[in-house]
Amino acid sequence: MTDHRRFTDGEAVIEVDGATVGAVIAELERRYPGLGEALTEGSSAGINGEIHAEPEFVAVAPDTDIYFVAPLAGG
Amino acid sequence: MTATENPPTYTWVGTRPIRHDGYDKVTGKARFAADLDLPGQLRAVYVRSPHAHARIVSINTAAAEAMPGVKAVVTGADFPDLGAADPEYDVSVNVMARDTVYYHGHAVAAVAATSRELAADAAAAIVVEYEELPAVFTIDDAMADGAPLVNETNFTKFVKADEPSNLSTITNLERGEVDDAFAAADLVVEREFTTAAVHQGYIEPHACVVDTGADGRASVWCSSQGHFRVRSSTAAVLGWDVSRVKVTPAEIGGGFGGKTTIYIEPVAARLSEMAGRPVKIVMTRDEVFRATGPAPASKVRVKVGATNDGELTALEAWMAYNVGAFGNVAGLVGAMSVASYKFPNLKLEAYSVLSNLPKSAAYRSPSAPHAAFAIESVVDEIAQKLDIDPIELRLKNAAVEGDVTAMGMPHPRIGFVECLEAVRESEHYQSPVPDGAARGIAAGFWFNIGEQSSATVHVNEDGTATVITGSPDIGGSRASMALMAAEELGLDVNSITPLVADTESVGFTDTTEGSRTTFATGMAVVQACRDLIDDMRSRAATTLSVDVGEVIWADGAAVAEGHDPVPLASIAAQSKRTGGPLTASASLNAAGAGPSFAVHCGDLAVDEETGHTKVLRYTAAQDAGTAIHPSYVEGQLQGGSVQGIGWALNEEYVLNDDGSLDNASFLDYRIPVASDLPMIETIIVEVPNPSHPYGVRGVGETGIVPPMATIANAISRAAGIRMTALPMSPPHVLTALNER
Amino acid sequence: MNRTHVNCTVNGDDVDFLAADGISLLDALRDELGLTGSKEGCGTGDCGACSILIDGKLNCSCLVLAPEAEGAEIVTVEGIADGDHLHPLQQTFLEGAALQCGICTPGFLVAAKALLDTNPDPTETEIRYALAGNLCRCTGYDKIIRSVQEAAVQLREVAK
Repeated sequence: MTDHRRFTDGEAVIEVDGATVGAVIAELERRYPGLGEALTEGSSAGINGEIHAEPEFVAVAPDTDIYFVAPLAGG
Repeated sequence: MTATENPPTYTWVGTRPIRHDGYDKVTGKARFAADLDLPGQLRAVYVRSPHAHARIVSINTAAAEAMPGVKAVVTGADFPDLGAADPEYDVSVNVMARDTVYYHGHAVAAVAATSRELAADAAAAIVVEYEELPAVFTIDDAMADGAPLVNETNFTKFVKADEPSNLSTITNLERGEVDDAFAAADLVVEREFTTAAVHQGYIEPHACVVDTGADGRASVWCSSQGHFRVRSSTAAVLGWDVSRVKVTPAEIGGGFGGKTTIYIEPVAARLSEMAGRPVKIVMTRDEVFRATGPAPASKVRVKVGATNDGELTALEAWMAYNVGAFGNVAGLVGAMSVASYKFPNLKLEAYSVLSNLPKSAAYRSPSAPHAAFAIESVVDEIAQKLDIDPIELRLKNAAVEGDVTAMGMPHPRIGFVECLEAVRESEHYQSPVPDGAARGIAAGFWFNIGEQSSATVHVNEDGTATVITGSPDIGGSRASMALMAAEELGLDVNSITPLVADTESVGFTDTTEGSRTTFATGMAVVQACRDLIDDMRSRAATTLSVDVGEVIWADGAAVAEGHDPVPLASIAAQSKRTGGPLTASASLNAAGAGPSFAVHCGDLAVDEETGHTKVLRYTAAQDAGTAIHPSYVEGQLQGGSVQGIGWALNEEYVLNDDGSLDNASFLDYRIPVASDLPMIETIIVEVPNPSHPYGVRGVGETGIVPPMATIANAISRAAGIRMTALPMSPPHVLTALNER
Repeated sequence: MNRTHVNCTVNGDDVDFLAADGISLLDALRDELGLTGSKEGCGTGDCGACSILIDGKLNCSCLVLAPEAEGAEIVTVEGIADGDHLHPLQQTFLEGAALQCGICTPGFLVAAKALLDTNPDPTETEIRYALAGNLCRCTGYDKIIRSVQEAAVQLREVAK
């Protein structure tokens, strides 16, 4: 989402192990302090082409791409 | 016209029945919030700030409280301080100012009396002493070094901010190397655009009736896009548990995003609690303009690079949205809405900027129209300079499945190319441009969202069904729910009664916004129907003495080989013998919302003497995924288009030097009227959303995104002037013509 | 408080009510007579949601003082159907999906009736100008105009 690369020395794509989105966020927080909190504030994720709101417990597989995006509403 | 890819055959989905709630609406019986009166009801009237930014030194309500008929008076002191970290803090302060007013029209006090007239008399007797503070109203002034602080409780979101700021969000999105791409480009076009604040302009002012009982529980009837949000926000502002508030949605007289938040319900609830009587609040139109909405003003700089054969190689944009006096993510969402073209190199910088203006609210595809006006204008200018057909240029660069949006996520299956092709093949685009006129093209994108929905479906003992959801119906969604239920159950759509229930009679459901209702609430309805069908198959298996696995559901009946079909009505009639009433509920947090693209084509003529622009012909194509009720899909496309035409040509908040609104009426804030417009032709493109059982994407939002650039691009071709400021009203067009 | 006793007919019924000083006919219809079909969108005559017929002429009832109704024949949206038989405009609005939220619909129906009562065969342009005092924010007017055109055709058929 917004400028998260400031946490990751500029890396935009990161490989992480974890069985759920929440586990992935926890691992990212461990490796890049502050990033996990920032990702939790942006509480939606694109997982296998579908946007999920508040996705902590959504299961992911080893080859799953997760895109963290800002929470969206609309008019 | 409908352009459909491999259309499945449905019995009910895609048909156009009369909407169930229509009869009450054409006979005057439909009950909107202002139509409800309760015994002993009081009317409440507000005192509002005459300053754009001031400290409240004192409020003296003594004289007002002593006046005839006055039963209760509230000020900010009657509401708890939630603390700036609370997610509802801004709403609570916007509902009623505490020690500071942040915009002209900010609520300061309210009086409940036995009549509106007596309440107004008493409100006029309340004495408020202010100490004026410096105020800013424009993006430039608010972002300037040393600018006065708009709101001392605003800290920039998503970053570790130590100091309050006039910036609510700062967003940077980047891919590729824009500088290298611009250096290598054959053509670079760069322009700066501005747009004025505009109001959602729903015809029904905000209204509610609240009855707070002796048990401390409040019953709320109100006009809202989301009564569960009214419940939670009202409770929060009052410092109550959510369960103390019950909200019943009245018919809603338009919202378009503007009724996704609250303004009046906690005030009515507190007055009712103090007076021990029901309290009704109906905003005046003047209050609606001064103290609700609007959509932000904006300033956007766009630079696009292209090759001579029309490949768009780079986009750099700086965007700022004027969000009013409270934090808002408009800039972030504006940057994220950049998703239509491949742009291998991209750099976006976006800001949500506070000012001493009303707290901005969502308006149909919030933030996307501002960005699209700028980008689609520059893209069109490139097509003009390269002498490439504007649709062909867009087709060459259009995002398809797998291409990434500005936020980095690949698009799922989308229908942008199909929309462009549908307009290209349309009779409109194929016909010659009328003499003296010109034609404009522009595109738009909106994400659409999922979120939480609940539905309960009853099969009644007479073989009809009742479909109950928690989604307020702002554009015909009850008819869509009934159609999907009819398709699932195999019932006539007229045998289904779709209802919207109060917060205690249906499972939690998020607000009707983001084009989510037919998608997400529709999924809940379909799931509940499928659970009911499983139950009915089981009931039929019992009566037929067969295994349930041998029973299928077809054409509204349970069918087992070797037996006559058992119709739904028969299963319903026997339900007491087979296990009791037939009912099922489903709740979900819907994933997989399908983005929706739109492409518009408009013919217009510019009167070079007056600067007046007349739209002569207009076509809107949009990917609906699947059109459940095509008439109401067309209606969304037409309504969104005309709101966008109004935004393009007329509508603007005109501010006085003191930040007060100079045109707070429908006379002076001129939305389009019937005589301004031609018919709005529609092309429903159907590229089904694979994540929805009927392929629904949602259609409410995107229609408002393309019109501003469609009009600007046509004016450019008609008159040789590139309009970069909205609205393109006659004086502004005339100025540009004279400077040509 | 001064109150004026007002006698008039509303939708064919003889009615009377007491009007406080300064209240509009719209308020009297809604608050005194319980006819809430006429809506207040602006209170300043700009939106047409409160359109009614007074002695056959189209008016914004928010701009009429209640005592001005004395002796008048008033028709509101509640009175345009013939018993349980919908007026052709009501039927074509339903079939043509000419309403979304429905708040402007009563005003449009009354204004369209006023037009067709005097001009049974209006052009599209005449319809658009006749309805230019009625604001709709949902539909973009397209389906409203088409529904009025269709109702005009049906009314002319009946008149033959």
